[in-house]
Amino acid sequence: MADSPPAIEVTEISYSYGDVLAVDGVSFEVAPGEIFGLLGPNGAGKSTTVKMLTGQIGPDSGSIRVLGMDTVSDTSKYQGRIGVCFEEKNLYTAMSGHENLRFFGRLFGIKDLDTAALLDRVDLGPRGDDRVADYSKGMRQRLMMARALINRPDVLFLDEPTDGLDPVSARTIQGLITQEAERGVAVVLTTHDMHEADTLSDRVAFINQGKILALDAPEALKLQHGQRSVRIRSLGNAGEIEETTIPLEGSGVPDSLQDTIANLEVLTIHTEEATLEDVFVAYAGRGLGA
Amino acid sequence: MTRGVISAILRKDLVAFSRDRFYVFITVLGLVAFVAMYWLLPSSVDETVRLGVSHTGLDEILAPITAVENEALAISEFDSRDELVEAVESGTDGIVAGIAFPASFQDESATVELLVPAGLPPEYQPLMEGIATQVAVFAAGEVPSMGIATRTVILGVDRAGDQISLQEQMRPLLAFFVLMMETFALASLVSIEVQLKTVTAVLVTPARARDFISAKAILGTLLALAEVLLLMVLIRGFVGDVPVLLVALALGAVLVTGIGLLAGASGRDFIGVMFLSLSLMIPLMIPAFGALFPGTAAGWIKALPSYGLAEAIVGVTARGESWGDLGPALLGLAAWCVVLLAIGTTVLKRRVQTL
Repeated sequence: MADSPPAIEVTEISYSYGDVLAVDGVSFEVAPGEIFGLLGPNGAGKSTTVKMLTGQIGPDSGSIRVLGMDTVSDTSKYQGRIGVCFEEKNLYTAMSGHENLRFFGRLFGIKDLDTAALLDRVDLGPRGDDRVADYSKGMRQRLMMARALINRPDVLFLDEPTDGLDPVSARTIQGLITQEAERGVAVVLTTHDMHEADTLSDRVAFINQGKILALDAPEALKLQHGQRSVRIRSLGNAGEIEETTIPLEGSGVPDSLQDTIANLEVLTIHTEEATLEDVFVAYAGRGLGA
Repeated sequence: MTRGVISAILRKDLVAFSRDRFYVFITVLGLVAFVAMYWLLPSSVDETVRLGVSHTGLDEILAPITAVENEALAISEFDSRDELVEAVESGTDGIVAGIAFPASFQDESATVELLVPAGLPPEYQPLMEGIATQVAVFAAGEVPSMGIATRTVILGVDRAGDQISLQEQMRPLLAFFVLMMETFALASLVSIEVQLKTVTAVLVTPARARDFISAKAILGTLLALAEVLLLMVLIRGFVGDVPVLLVALALGAVLVTGIGLLAGASGRDFIGVMFLSLSLMIPLMIPAFGALFPGTAAGWIKALPSYGLAEAIVGVTARGESWGDLGPALLGLAAWCVVLLAIGTTVLKRRVQTL
């Protein structure tokens, strides 16, 4: 993965809506087979960045190369090799699942698309002939995912792919994302779900006010910016439950841990580590929901 | 590739159109209603010339003339000049003009007034002078030497001498109604794509904005043309120079497609799209309404985009006109088609690119 040329190269891109600077000098790379999480609160610049990456708009400055092609001059060519799953359920509701996939297949020049196999991949096989208007939210999202895979893309852009879904639908989609990455597909995942980003992403970028605040593997970010500790719950003299937190930083940690355990009637011991949310707050001074 | 993409979008839109109960309902209902309306209208014209006369003491002399009533001429008597003037002004009983004989008619110096409304075809005047002369002959036994003075009574609207039946007058209006319905349908189809952002999903594939817009323009034009052609067949509108008519209808379909694209791209929701479509289409119906009232077309009506369409339909089907007569109107219509299609596609392109 590390030796392959990057599937996506973003260099110092900026974009403004009138006087509002939405994206400000953002740079990053995504390797083939890598799942890259783009995290940030609403209005941080994620959607604008993804719009530029998918060729919907061109950057005001800077450059984006996807699969070695410039997104402005080679738009049509590289869009034939990407798959996009939007946050909005923008499907043709008067048409069936099969018909939706067949239509988008034709846009990619695929005449004999195996829509049944695609629908089976997202567990929609038995409902393929039903109109999308009759689908639940989860079914629509799974169909969106199937649509993003029509052309066996080399790069996948997924915007909140599991937002508001039931656990079964969410797991189906997360499974597909992992499978695609294993196939060598570069995945750009935009999400509010810190747990999902932590679980799926090889690297994450925190974006706020149009700038990337931090970019690294989730584990590395947590180690760099979180505080590791041990939380001990014990029974006090009067029978009440007490909590003691011992930082795992600095010298003398084993001794203090040993002393604490020896002197208390310990009920439970848990290691504590920072979450991606904690790391984001440390960088941005606010949470993702802010 | 582009042809394949446009064809795919067209096929998808046809499926969407055929499955939308609202579009199908208004299309079928509109066609049935307009065709029924056409056939319920009178298809013939009352060509009898109805004149009024007023006189004092000429009963015996006028009796043989007023008794002459046939399909071409009918004369009604009035007791006074004032009553006759009122009848001519108001068009009571279809009176189109009047002859007022003075009480001193049998004197040599008598003057007969011909009460002629504005815009009355000039051929009426000799007819009325002839009647006045004939009355004078009856009165004097020889051709009298008398002056005939005329006075114009302003009525405003000239409907006399109109040789176009109501059915013929309604043709452009009905055609325009059908085209207008297709404007709603296209505008709604475009608006739904924009609002649901399905167009965004299309534009992150190898399909380009121009493919999407071309498909919509082709669909709108084909649907509008197919419906208006069907209507014209059902109301037996294909008379006279059919190629001119076909060109006019095709241009009309392009015209309303431009408006449909504009309304669909600009409307925020279904109601907004309907409001915009109506706002744009109602002024364009004025020339078609103008066909109902011949002779009233003002200069500003001729400047409206749809004037060429209404003029061509009436010209070909009712007046037997051809390329030579309708060339300028068709050129004007074509120019408006280019302008409105350019505006519609530009606005839609900007809208889809800023989603």
